[in-house]
Amino acid sequence: MNPAPGLFQVPWQEYVPALADGLLRSLGYTAAGFAGAVVIGLGVALLRISSRRLLRIPAAIYTELFKNIPLLAIIFITYFGLASIGIRLDAFQAGTLSLVIFYGAYLSEIFRAALLGVHAGQREAGQALGLGPTVTFTGIIFPQALRLALPGTGTMLVDLLKSTSLLVVISAAELMSQAQLIASETFRALEVYIVISAIYFVVCYPLSQVVLRLERRVQAGAPLSLRRYRRLAQARALLAAAETASYSEVKP
Amino acid sequence: MTIGRAETKGQTVNNARPVVEIKSLVKSFAGRIVLDTVDFQVEPGNIVSIIGRSGGGKTTLMRCINLLEQPDSGTITLQGEPVFAGRKTVCKDLAKLRQRVGMVFQRFYLFPHLTAVENVMLAQMKGLKIPETKALHTALELLAEVGLSHRALAFPEQMSGGEQQRVAIARALALGPSLLLFDEPTSALDPESTRDVLAVMRRLARSGMTMVIVTHEVPFAREISDQIVFIDGGHIIEQGPPSEVIDNPSEERTKAFLRSYNSNS
Repeated sequence: MNPAPGLFQVPWQEYVPALADGLLRSLGYTAAGFAGAVVIGLGVALLRISSRRLLRIPAAIYTELFKNIPLLAIIFITYFGLASIGIRLDAFQAGTLSLVIFYGAYLSEIFRAALLGVHAGQREAGQALGLGPTVTFTGIIFPQALRLALPGTGTMLVDLLKSTSLLVVISAAELMSQAQLIASETFRALEVYIVISAIYFVVCYPLSQVVLRLERRVQAGAPLSLRRYRRLAQARALLAAAETASYSEVKP
Repeated sequence: MTIGRAETKGQTVNNARPVVEIKSLVKSFAGRIVLDTVDFQVEPGNIVSIIGRSGGGKTTLMRCINLLEQPDSGTITLQGEPVFAGRKTVCKDLAKLRQRVGMVFQRFYLFPHLTAVENVMLAQMKGLKIPETKALHTALELLAEVGLSHRALAFPEQMSGGEQQRVAIARALALGPSLLLFDEPTSALDPESTRDVLAVMRRLARSGMTMVIVTHEVPFAREISDQIVFIDGGHIIEQGPPSEVIDNPSEERTKAFLRSYNSNS
């Protein structure tokens, strides 16, 4: 039926539902894994900059341990390994957990560097203004650290999305698992994996561009919250009103 | 609100309680004594300038006033309220204390992620819980007072050093402090910016604000101060009105310092 060995011979229309389902699952893993990794990363980063050794050391061990073993090994351990001692996680649980543990370790490094990157004088200025430690952190240190952490965090998000493809080894039904199925049904490995790669690219490239734009906007000081947006708008309005008032004063 | 809340010098001086009263203050860093049994006092409405060589303990003494530095021993009393006694802080609410003591840093330390007006609003809203609109009005008024209405929406990195330091002064004033501390406010500035900042400080002084200024600007200190304190090697060598300490120093070390200052400038 297909005598010419052309590149595109897989009946892709038939696979659209499977691919869409796989892509959605990949995005689901990404969202859950990244959200969890941010929480773990921030928590571990805060422990690592603590003044208490008892908090610092376990956090450092966590980071160093999971930064230095392959994600694939973590996936095998959470899915097959834990099952052998009676802890049965389904593919989604094991996959998400693996991503959270692994990327949590990397994000904790990025967040720690960002928190330490905020000048010590900033904390002092907050103290001198009579702000307590909590407000000094949430209002002064954290927003600045967020700006410093954004580039590295964005890179990690895209990397995490690509790493969901490793979940193929536990048949997580995400995009790469679907690709494997299609390839084994059609025996067109080259075509299938080129198309799948293209799908990853089409999702990842815009995502990194969006992150980059966000980074630039935040770097330029654009408000991230509606409340701050309104505050600046009000300030602008008051300044404009004051200016017109002073003009009218000059006029006789 | 206008610059300086204390109305006039005459009125505030009647309030006899010193704003700052420090007795037998000792402070060391890693075994090296930086302040050795120092007594120091600031009367309401007075401008006190602390001068002396770098590393002599000027800045440390000032930072002890709002307990950014924890002394080893001695007593610190602010407006009659004991803050530090013996070897420990006795003030229960350090945050509240610091709201009454504004501080201006050598390197400004404005919050770089916020515009000038937001810098002046932050502590009002988060510390004093002043409603946003009121805080905004106060902030804009204070920026106008320091001549920076046109920079209200600029970020610190877009401003010159002098502009940043004037925003920092507005930020310190926003809490309506009864005392302002200046830690070498013009040491990081070019001559023109220095002039602008000193002009703002002069206006503050005239309004009756109580101020402690660590400075290298001897002529400015001489002009603005009620009291000059000369510190060297962790000791207060000499203190008194500028006419004595600067124009007619009695201590040899003060004379030597002023000679080297004059030959350098």
